[in-house]
Parts: sequence; structure tokens; C-alpha cells
Amino acid sequence: MVGKGGAGKSVISGTMARVLARQGPPLLALDSDLLPGLSFSLGAGEDPALPPLREAAEKDEDGRWRLKKGIGPARAVQRYATAAPDGIRLLQLGKTPREGLEPIMGAVNAYYRVIHRLGDVKSFKQWTMLGDLPAGPRHIAFDWAPYARVFVVVVQPTVQSALAGRRVARIARVREGVQAVFVANRVNGRADVTHVERLLGERVVAAVPNDAGVAEAERLGRAPIDHAPRSPAVAEIERLVTTLADL
Amino acid sequence: MKIAVAGKGGAGKTTVSGTVARAFARAGHEVLALDADANPMLGVSLGVGPERTELLLGVRQGLEAGEVEHEPTIEGMVERFGADAPDGIRLVVASRIETDSPGCQCCGVSPDQLLRELEDGHRTVICDLEAGLGTLVRMEPGNVDAVVVVANPTAKALEVARRAIEITSDKDTEVIVLANRVRDQDDLDAIRAVLGDDRELIVIPEDPTIALADRDGLAPIDLDENSPGVTALIALTDRLAGAPVPA
Repeated sequence: MVGKGGAGKSVISGTMARVLARQGPPLLALDSDLLPGLSFSLGAGEDPALPPLREAAEKDEDGRWRLKKGIGPARAVQRYATAAPDGIRLLQLGKTPREGLEPIMGAVNAYYRVIHRLGDVKSFKQWTMLGDLPAGPRHIAFDWAPYARVFVVVVQPTVQSALAGRRVARIARVREGVQAVFVANRVNGRADVTHVERLLGERVVAAVPNDAGVAEAERLGRAPIDHAPRSPAVAEIERLVTTLADL
Repeated sequence: MKIAVAGKGGAGKTTVSGTVARAFARAGHEVLALDADANPMLGVSLGVGPERTELLLGVRQGLEAGEVEHEPTIEGMVERFGADAPDGIRLVVASRIETDSPGCQCCGVSPDQLLRELEDGHRTVICDLEAGLGTLVRMEPGNVDAVVVVANPTAKALEVARRAIEITSDKDTEVIVLANRVRDQDDLDAIRAVLGDDRELIVIPEDPTIALADRDGLAPIDLDENSPGVTALIALTDRLAGAPVPA
């Protein structure tokens, strides 16, 4: 999930993850945002002060980070991913602490190594991996989502959001075997969908309505699927999950 | 004077930066608007238009492309890579990520370096930071005179604002907190509950003019300078300036 800040990446990621997890295959939610977001939208509450994943890394003689001996991607997920509702496993690189990034650098390094090796592990073939990326193009450009076959670009009906969406889609599509699709978020009616599609110059695969239930969930820091399970927004995200499965 | 604007993506940093820059310029300041987001959008809020904003070259990309032959000075880069914006503002984009091979993350000119080295004796520098806390964390004490933290009333944005305030508290700079997009007392209470009752809050009311400007890619101050949100942002310049206009 990619897009401009505030477009609704975490809300849609968290809800999609819950919908997918209820459908069966094990789900790994990957959170590489240094800012809080996904954990709230998954319904897992506040983030831990320090990421458990920091235990997976150590410094070598030259002061460079590496994974500890015996810790591959499978063990890292088994030991250091935390539990979220509906059996979801959540792997995070941590949130910026007051002192700066130093206390979480082990986890940041471990995260990057783990996600780059997830594809090597047979037991993960059945898993669904859903990553919530930080705002903007940086993480796509620096290959923080090598597991992704589909980039879902979340766009609100504003010019800045659409410009940002076009920029990240352009970078994502350079990759071989990768698709980028657009989802309009917080739309008020058909006119907003048309506005977004005109700004993007292409169609969206889903249009999530502006929804009072979701807005309230956001204010409270709750998962939309727990707070407003029958809301129109959650229904559209359920439809999006089906659409993506058919891609 | 140097001012940096921080907050979660979508909290309203760019709108605040652009409008405050325009208001300072109209009050007679020489204004340098520095876009420190790798996904640069400040041009849109300044009133440069989305098409021209897409064409602005980042200082870093300009240097890498060999646009400057000799050892460039910071002021030379501003001259070479800056663009003119309404009300006599000079707009400079620090760095934009446009490809999937954007070069080394830690080499080349960085937003915090530009912010540190830009001369501000004769002018007002407004810097729109990248979403998140990265630049704040890297900033050295005394680099800016004020950090404006933009918070809107959602659990996630408030958590980011709380962290931004915490990180900025030992940077030898004034911290000014904006309660942005406030609709009612409930919104204000939600912000107070996280940021504390005794903290000074500058309230920017929810404003249909700003929403419309966002939708169409215009500067809010061009659409209606008397709307409630724009008026509050113009008033913010008095709070920020404190001192008289530099001669």
C-alpha cells in the first residue's frame, strides 16, 4: 500500500488485512513506516515502545548490523512478529523514538534483510503479505517492498494526492512483473471518482466512500472493521480484496 | 528567521507552509520557501500550479546531473535551482525521488544541510518537511528558530505530533503547535487529551475554502483570503514573527 501521507493507506491496509485473514490463508502484515498507523487500523492498539525485532540483529566486528546466527526470515517472523486480531502476524521495524533512530537501528536493519529473504522460504508461499509503506516514493525507490507483486496506490480526491499517486505508480511500474492499481479514498459520490480519474489519467479499481464510521474509528485509534463493520467503506474494501484476488 | 513545518502526512503541513509563506511575503518579508519533501508539493499550495510543480528540479538531482560545474555554494544553488512563486517568493525543492534508482540515501545535499546553511539574516525561510520525523531527528540544535507542528484530531496524527514535540524539545527552538482542521469542541478536546491542557494551541478551523483549494490544486490564499482557515494562518505570521520585519 502506497500513496501520499494521509491518503488512507493504513486504514485500507489494516481493513484489507483483517478481511483477508478471515478468509483463510495466514497473513503477514509488514509495517515499514517509522510513524504509527497500521497497528491502530489492524485493531492491535498502540505500537510497542521498541520493536521486538531489534533482538534479531547484532553488530559484527566492524560495527555493521547483521542477523544473529540461526535467525532466518522464518524464525524472525515466528519470534518477533506480534499478534493482531484474526490470527494476523505483524512485523514492524519500529517507530521513531525520542532519542532518534539509534535504539531501533538493529530492527530497521533486520527488517530490511528479512523482507528481502521472505521469498526464499517455502513455508511462506501460502502466506499473504501485505505491506503498509510510509508516505511518498522513498520506500518503493529504495526497495523496501521486494515481496510486492501489486502496489495499491491510495489517492484522495485532491490534486496533491493524485500527483503523489502518479509519481509512486511511475516508480513502481519500472519493476518487472509488478502491477500498480489505484484506489480512490474518501470520495463523496461519483463526481469525486471522476475527478480522481481525470487527475490520474486512468481508472481506479475501487472507490472507498467518505465514511463517518471510519472517521470516528480514526479519531479513536480503532480498527474500522471493529468500530464500523457494516459501514459502506468497509464493504468497498471487502470488494477491493476480491478485485485484487482476481488480478 | 527560519521556520520548519512538521507533522504526519496529510495533517496539512504543505497547506500551512504555503499559506504562511504567502502571508509573510505579503507582509513585506523576503521569503524563501524550501520544499524538503522527496515528494514535493509545496508549489501547489504556494499557487504555482500542479503542472509547474511537476517540472521543478530538485537541487540534489540538479547537482547529480552536473547542472553546476564548480563547487556550488548553497546560495548559488538557490539561485540556480529555485523558481519564482507568487508574491515574490523564491521556491526551492531540496530533492525529489523520480526513479527507482535514486542514488545513495546518505550522500549529496540533504534537506537538513540546506536548512542549516541557508542564510536567513535578510529573509524568512519556511521549510515544508517530509512527512514523519526523520529531518527533525537529524536537525541540530539552533538550526531553526521555530518548528510548527501540525496536528489534526486523529489518534495517529496526534501520536506523530506528540513525538514531534518531544523530539523538538531539546533542539533549542520554539515549538508552536497547530490544531488543524478543528470542527468542534470534541476535536479540540481530543487534541488536548493527547498534547496536554496547558499547551498553547493555535487553532485552525476546518475550512471549505482550503478543502476546495486542495481539490483543485490552488493556493487557499488565492481562493479566499478571508475564509476562517486562511485568516487563522495569516494571523499565525504575527505569532511567528514576534520581531519586526527585517530591514
